[in-house]
This record gives sequence, structure tokens and C-alpha cells, in this order.
Amino acid sequence: MCMSFDPQIIKKDFPILNRLVNGKPLVYLDSGATSQKPQSVIDAIVGYYREHNANVHRGAHTLGDESTALYHKARQKIAQFIGAKSQKEIIFVRNTSEALNLVASAWGSENLGEGDVILTTQMEHHSNIVPWQILATTKRARVELIAVKNDGFLDMDDFERKLKLKPKIVGIVHVSNALGTVNPIKEMTKMAHKVGALVVVDGAQSVPHMKIEVSDLGCDFFAFSGHKVLAPMGSGVLWGRKELLELMPPYMGGGGMISEVHESGFVAGELPDKFEAGTPNVEAAIGLMVAVEYLEKLGMDSVREHDKSIVKYALCALGGLSEVELLGTKEVEKRSGSVSFVYKGVHAHDVATILDSEGVAVRSGHHCTMPLHEVMGVVASIRASFNVYTTKEDIDRLIEALAKVKKVFGK
Amino acid sequence: MDIYREDILDHYENPRNMGELVDPDYEGRDSNASCGDMIQFQLKMEDEVIKEVKWKGIGCAITTAAASKLSEFLKGKTLSDLQKMSCEEIVEEGIGFKVNPGRMKCLTLPVRVFKKIWES
Repeated sequence: MCMSFDPQIIKKDFPILNRLVNGKPLVYLDSGATSQKPQSVIDAIVGYYREHNANVHRGAHTLGDESTALYHKARQKIAQFIGAKSQKEIIFVRNTSEALNLVASAWGSENLGEGDVILTTQMEHHSNIVPWQILATTKRARVELIAVKNDGFLDMDDFERKLKLKPKIVGIVHVSNALGTVNPIKEMTKMAHKVGALVVVDGAQSVPHMKIEVSDLGCDFFAFSGHKVLAPMGSGVLWGRKELLELMPPYMGGGGMISEVHESGFVAGELPDKFEAGTPNVEAAIGLMVAVEYLEKLGMDSVREHDKSIVKYALCALGGLSEVELLGTKEVEKRSGSVSFVYKGVHAHDVATILDSEGVAVRSGHHCTMPLHEVMGVVASIRASFNVYTTKEDIDRLIEALAKVKKVFGK
Repeated sequence: MDIYREDILDHYENPRNMGELVDPDYEGRDSNASCGDMIQFQLKMEDEVIKEVKWKGIGCAITTAAASKLSEFLKGKTLSDLQKMSCEEIVEEGIGFKVNPGRMKCLTLPVRVFKKIWES
């Protein structure tokens, strides 16, 4: 583990954070949407194209071998990073949404029938609701949502009640992208398994901030996006238990995913190729490997400690403003990655535009969680989200910029 | 900051023609999926001319000011004149202020509602 974690020094590894926005030094507080990338990741992408680029799994030539070897190395690194038993359990996809769609489509096609129940939560990103709604429509199944309480936590009594419906699969967000709540995945997985349900976890907002051991969580599928973990866009991962992935039919057909093709039909390839039809995004996988190496150098325990200290600082600073209404729990131990709030009397988009004029980038809107915003009775909120390069000074700049909102709107 | 200049804030804080008509000839609404904002427009005609305009909705300062300005612009216009105009022209003449690309949906929501009434 790294002996000292200094975000001021870490910041220097991210070239984009040196730029000006509207004449002011950029304060990037939208890492929950996508993280910025360190120089080492940028160099890895450039290096791949300058020296190794060739298609993988094809052709007996040196570049093809190098490219294939790097792609495999990336898969092994990711397997180790999230505690997978085998690199065969790591499927490279574009993002969390694609990973969740893969599960809904491939697992759902053979394991869900009319009248079956799919359980997910009111806290989910649309990507862990809509694929299930699509599946439910085609299968005449139904989607039930576990309620969220006013304090920003899932209603565990409601979860217990809904488990009595004998769901076939339960989708849970590990860390809420809108509230920052860390959900008790281990406990919920145990409860779901007792009724025979599989558990699929959306880890998009947890992987950037905490050590993940899929075997420890106990879930059956785990999805995340590389681009929120300092890696390039187009890098995403689905982890699934090997025995489940082996039984699932392919998601997409094409090159790379078969072992044999005849006029009469095809034989699917082995894991993980079975789920990776077509030329993969090799550059993104390599970028993700280098991003993971960067995080491992910092130490995931230190990353989580820094995450909590920034969340705590932001809750405290924003909580001191009478115009601000914070969303979610105040318990820092049970939060990660972001702080969302409403600015009383001013629409979130107006707040975000004024903050941008001061060089401060935040997300405004419903953050792809419309059901959750409906429950909270909020049309749109403002989210400040963090990563390893976020400093307390960044939060101070946010607070200073919010004073301009007051100046413009007189509120 | 430019888009929050005084006249826009004035339309936001004192929106014109806000409310509902008892017996509108035309009515339409639309929302912005990215933020949940919703705008409704109602029109009362006299022959071909828009005699009365009322609108209501939930929106940011940009959407509210745009709806307010548009409602003033529409009054007294004939439908056939408006039909000849593109969305861009209505934004330019009827709303008269610009925003950066990220906020265009806020600005154009009232125009989209009006066009929807149109096309129905």
C-alpha cells in the first residue's frame, strides 16, 4: 500500500486537470459520469497503436501475437483486481449497461418464463431497470422494485417481503450513483440465494473507490465500466460465475465467438470468447489494465479512505449552506463517490451552468435515476462526484462558485 | 454571465402569460427526458389569429424565460405565418437569446411544444 496518499500530487498525473474552463482552472466534479485519465493510461493507448496494433486471435504474425498477448494480460489483470477465480469469467464489454444487457438477454432467454418475477430496486440507474423491463415484456414476466427509504437506504423489510415472490434474479446497485449509498450486497446476496434467486450487481460506482472481491460479495454477476475507473471509454467488464456463463447462450453472434460454423449451424466457442463477438476494443482493455495498475500503486484501501474524507468534507461544507438540501445519508461509512443536492429555488441546470462559468464541472438532472427522483419528490438534482484526484480545495471552489448562484438569482 | 442577463431573469421571475385557459382551441405538452422538465401551451384562436396564449410547467430559468418570451411572441400571429417558420427561426425571433449546446434542450422545449400542437 502507498504510504501517503496525496491528491495534490496525484492530480499532476492527469493532464486534463491543468486546463482552464471559462478562464478559470478546471475543477472536475463529474467523475461519477466518467473519470479523467492519467498520463500512463493515455501513453498506453498511444503506445499500443504506435507499436502493437493488430487484430487479436487472428493471423500468425508478430503484431497479432503481441496484441493478443496484451489483450490476455489485460484480462488476467482485471480478474486478479476484482478477485475472480479465473480469467475466463471476465467478459470485456463497452460499459456497465452492455454488461447488464448481456445478462438480461443471454441468461433471461433460457431462464425466465411467463409470470416470473425479476427484482431490482428504486435506487437503480436506468441500466439496471430498463434491460429487465425489456426482458419482462418479451417473456411476460414482471419487474418489482425494492423501495428506498427517506434516509437513502434500501428498505430491507420490503426486500424481505418481495423475496417471498420468489424472484428468479435480483439486480442491485452496489453504490448509488445519485445518493452515494453503499448497499449491503453481501447480506442481500445471502438473502436472495436463500430463495434461489441469482444476484447481479451494478458495480459502476463502487469499483472506482473500493476494493472489490467478487467471491467475498457472493454475487453471481458483477458489472462495471472501465471509463469510471481511470480507463478509456469503451472499456467495461462483466464478471460472472463460470458455471452460469457456460450454461448461457451467446449474446451476439459473429467472428471470434464460435468454435465451428457449418451450413447447418454453429458451435459456440469457449469462455470468454463466446460472449465477445467481433473485433474487441483492445486499446480499451489495455487502458483498463494500466488504470488498474495505477490504482493498485495507490492502494485501494487508501483510495477508499480518501473517498470517505472527500465525501465527509463535501457533506460538511455543503451542509453549512442554508440554500442547499443534501440528498442521502449523512453516515460517511455508508457512502461513496458523490454528494448530490438540491439548491432551493433554483433549477439544477441553472446551478450547473453558473458553476461551469466558474470552471466547476458538476452533473445536473436526474442522473439516469428517474424512479429514484420520483420517490424523493425531486425533479432534478446537482451531483458533485469524486475520484482519486479530487482535493478539498476542489470542494472549496465549488462552495465559492455556489455563492455566484446566490448573486445571480438573489436566493 | 450572459445567459442570466437581466431581461432573461426578469422573464424567469415574472413569467408572462402563465396559467391555464378555460376553453382552449389548441393544447399541447412535452417534457425533457434529461431533467423531467415539462411545459404545456394552450392557445385560443380568433379566426386565424392567436388571440390568447397561456402556458404552465416546471422548468429551469432558461426554459421558463423561453416559454414566457415565446408566449408574448405568439400573441397576434396568424397560424399560417408561423407555419412558414422553422424551429430555428422561432427560437431566434420568438425567444431571442442563445445558450451553449448543453442547454439547447432547455431553450427549445417551449418551441417543441408549440410545434407539437401544430403538427397534431
